[in-house]
Amino acid sequence: MTQTVAIPNKLATTMSGDREPRRKSRSSAAAIGDRKGIVWRSIIAIVVAIIMVFPLYWMVVVAFSPRGEAFEPTLRFWPSAWTTENFQRVFELYPVATWFGNSVVIGLFITFLTVVVNLLAGYAFARLRFRGRNVLFLLTLATMMIPVQAIMVAQFRLVSDLGIYGSYWGVILPGAAAAFGIFLARQFFIGIPDEIIEAAKIDGSGQIRIFLQVVLPLSKPLIAVLILLTLMGSWNDFAWPLIALNDNQLFTLPIGLLYLQNQTAPNYNATMALALISVLPMVALFLSFQRYFVQGFARSGIR
Amino acid sequence: MTSLTARGRGSAPLSPRPRAARRASRLRESLIGWGFLAPNLTLMAIFLFLPILWALQLSFQDSRGFGSPEWVGLKNYAKLVSDPVFWQSFGNTIAFTILTVPITMIGGLCLAVLMNSVLPARGVFRTVIVLPMVISGVASGMIAGIIFYQSNGIINKVLSAVGLYPVAWQSDGLPALISVVIVAIWLRIGFNMIIYLAGLQRIEPQLYEAARIDGASRWQQLRSITVPLVGPSTFFLLIMNVIASFQVFDLIFVMTGGGPGNSTSVLVTYAYRNGFQIREQGYGAAIGIVILIITLLFTFVQWKTSRTRDQAG
Amino acid sequence: MKLNRKRSLAVGAVIVAVTVLSGCVGFGSGGGGGGEAGSNELTFTTWAGDSEAVAFKTLIKQFEAENDGVTVKLNVVPYAQMFSGIDAKLSSGNAPDIFRVDYGNLGVYSSQDQLLDLSPYLADEQNNFIPAMWQAVSFENKPYGVPHQTDVSALLVNTDMLSEAGIDVASLPTTQADAWTWNEFSDAAKQLRTALPADKYPFVYNWQLGGAPRWLSWVFQANGALFEKDGTTPAIDSPAGKKALDYTKSFYDNQWVPPTSSTKSSVYADTTFQEGTAAMVFAGSFLVPDMETLAKFNWTAIPMPRDERGATDLGGNALVATKDTKNPELAAKFLAFMVQADSMSAFCAATNELPTRTDLAADAVTFIVRPDVMPVFVEQASTIEPSDVTQLTSPTMAAISTALQDQLDAAFVGGQSTGDTLTNLTRAIEEASK
Repeated sequence: MTQTVAIPNKLATTMSGDREPRRKSRSSAAAIGDRKGIVWRSIIAIVVAIIMVFPLYWMVVVAFSPRGEAFEPTLRFWPSAWTTENFQRVFELYPVATWFGNSVVIGLFITFLTVVVNLLAGYAFARLRFRGRNVLFLLTLATMMIPVQAIMVAQFRLVSDLGIYGSYWGVILPGAAAAFGIFLARQFFIGIPDEIIEAAKIDGSGQIRIFLQVVLPLSKPLIAVLILLTLMGSWNDFAWPLIALNDNQLFTLPIGLLYLQNQTAPNYNATMALALISVLPMVALFLSFQRYFVQGFARSGIR
Repeated sequence: MTSLTARGRGSAPLSPRPRAARRASRLRESLIGWGFLAPNLTLMAIFLFLPILWALQLSFQDSRGFGSPEWVGLKNYAKLVSDPVFWQSFGNTIAFTILTVPITMIGGLCLAVLMNSVLPARGVFRTVIVLPMVISGVASGMIAGIIFYQSNGIINKVLSAVGLYPVAWQSDGLPALISVVIVAIWLRIGFNMIIYLAGLQRIEPQLYEAARIDGASRWQQLRSITVPLVGPSTFFLLIMNVIASFQVFDLIFVMTGGGPGNSTSVLVTYAYRNGFQIREQGYGAAIGIVILIITLLFTFVQWKTSRTRDQAG
Repeated sequence: MKLNRKRSLAVGAVIVAVTVLSGCVGFGSGGGGGGEAGSNELTFTTWAGDSEAVAFKTLIKQFEAENDGVTVKLNVVPYAQMFSGIDAKLSSGNAPDIFRVDYGNLGVYSSQDQLLDLSPYLADEQNNFIPAMWQAVSFENKPYGVPHQTDVSALLVNTDMLSEAGIDVASLPTTQADAWTWNEFSDAAKQLRTALPADKYPFVYNWQLGGAPRWLSWVFQANGALFEKDGTTPAIDSPAGKKALDYTKSFYDNQWVPPTSSTKSSVYADTTFQEGTAAMVFAGSFLVPDMETLAKFNWTAIPMPRDERGATDLGGNALVATKDTKNPELAAKFLAFMVQADSMSAFCAATNELPTRTDLAADAVTFIVRPDVMPVFVEQASTIEPSDVTQLTSPTMAAISTALQDQLDAAFVGGQSTGDTLTNLTRAIEEASK
């Protein structure tokens, strides 16, 4: 990851309208003057990096410390003895595997539905001409600004009237009504060169075929970004599952975390052990697909 | 942030065709367009627009969540005006926004400038700064609760060890608010850095070369080249950060629960408290409507300014 | 990193596999609703601590074994979403058959006609329970639930710290008869204050978060009350109320308690005892197992101090059946089973909570953890009077609790005078009772 906005293929580069940001190496005189600067900058960067990493490091320390040690008066920066007792306790007392599975199932369904809906809508807004398009796009964009919490009471009543309260669907369906991906998809599709689509039209392809056979194969980077962002959003989602899931066997990991914290005498070490379990998949995903994440975030900022 | 007019290209057919055929093809395209939009529109209509109307209705009712609701007209809104906790939550929301947004943005820009310069192991630093972004609000809130723990949390232990006084993070209003602000900045600064980095990398290096030749200092370069040229990123981030701050929920719910007292209660947690914890669903819905109106006002103002900007630019 | 076809297939396979593995349970609608009529299935929603969850499971197994073909589905949820979930399910008509509820919330549900009237099923049970607890589950003289357990506060003391401060640990009170008076309690606090360094404190009180009503124990000890007998007219602005407030205010003025332990703090104060920062703590018996695990010093429990009379914080929960349960008889049978003497004894023994039955006196329950300190709690429970319960379970308590939290904080650490505080409280009670 040498470039922040590492764009996976040539097409994406042309589409985003990015100028090649690669810089020519500086003249040697400037480089010598820079040496002192590099030292200072490195020191600042190291300090910042320590601050950013410390909370995560501390989660690991508490998760592997003997119970109660985090709040003992003695100041220490690592456990007196590394132990896995907190993990054993968490797995013994709570249906962690079920919660994990629920997070995966809900995450995958929301992601699948959302990505399909986003791609279709994004394409319609970018490439198809029909009456009411701009008004609808504006409306869709406006929904991005609506905080779920403003309407959660009514949303909750609705979900319970639809009979999907307390089931996966109660989380999945409202979760799929998200506009952010539509915005990303539209930006991407607008960038596809007209010639490609015109050529397909001349070949006699209909709009649906163009979308399926020409546009989608070109959109792999977009799809990857959408999948990662949606998956991360639903994996970390808390407010809505808190309201919509009321059955221990259906909880996602964030609700499971709350369950641990709500104990009359919360065991912080066990809570951190579960927090670590819940955070690891996203960290792993982020580290392996970093450039897609970064590109996704960056892309949302272009223009 | 984006221009709403779609590009008009690709619409003129190449071969001359009869009018009727063209109209038929237009119609077909319209149908396909609506068809492509249908799933999105259905979901939005059911799960967003319908609840908005319902919330509006609910805000005129007195409802405990079960039993039949009672129509009370504007009573809930009248109660808002004279409810000190509502105003405190409103003030906290504003304070939280005013504290988080500038610090996150300035910090993000500084880090972006740092990461855009010559630096060993740049990639590693960048990864580390962006990493908190993938941590859920719930997990962050719980980690922070342990770090800021008042008696014998790691921060207070360090403060005592270096001879300073421990801070009452959990029993004094201002430190509690500050602790939440710190965590919010920790979560978001990476995002700001990434957006600014993307903006920085579109600036021509020649501009800096020219400025250096003219003898401009680093500070002058930053002020008169970098800051103006990342303007679009700044504008975008301002909106994203303000909205994120305005809607902060997970973090506060888990970390302080709005306490001590109500000193970290924000509009959204207060709406939740009324709607789901103390059985004032009508009142909770009214707070929700207020949040909605403020959000839409902000969006409208932002959209207006963005249009004038586009025209000016 | 391209998403080629192979990878997509793999992802698809994972989706299918996970869905199959999870048994698709989550895709049925309205999970956790009441059992079908005559199907011999009951659903039971509760929140529970770790040991409570285990005790519930054991008892349910026993009930299923005793009643052929009956199944009870237990659903344990976080406390934070317990009642919002129950409310939702009640309004959408798929409430669980049985749920657990604290005595305050019970009044809300029973007065809104959401619960099963148990009088036809539990006609002869009344005399088996402590009158105050039976009072707590009754509405208009009909029982709408069974009192499942209670918990009360006593004073936990760090005997190591007390000895160091020169207090004779052997002469500490152990029964209500020799409980400390307020004066004796003050003497102990003074002695500790003199002996301890500035960053340690004689004691803490667990009245943070929602715990402000616990302050009323002091009012009751001074023979005062929150309301008059009619349950609405404020009675807090009285000599007893003034005495209680002046006394508790002096805890902060004399630095007997940490200044950070006021009613508005967002953490409970008991951890300061467990860390050895405070020498004594007013705490509920359910905290005993955790203290036992975490405290690295010797400690014991002694009765709450008394003034005109003894009194303590009331906690605990009832079990109720919903009005629309398809199996009212089976539900009532389950409730009766959960509060029969041996079930209650087993549950309390495992959780360090207190029984509500009159036939389970101090030594009838064999507590597993620290059986030596538990009789103090059991005897302390007898200081609760039915009139205390009526006040603490009043439907207006939620609103009053918020006012107590604000006003006590203002009095304790905000410098507000006793007179102003009591006037403000009186106004808040009037407001809440309107």
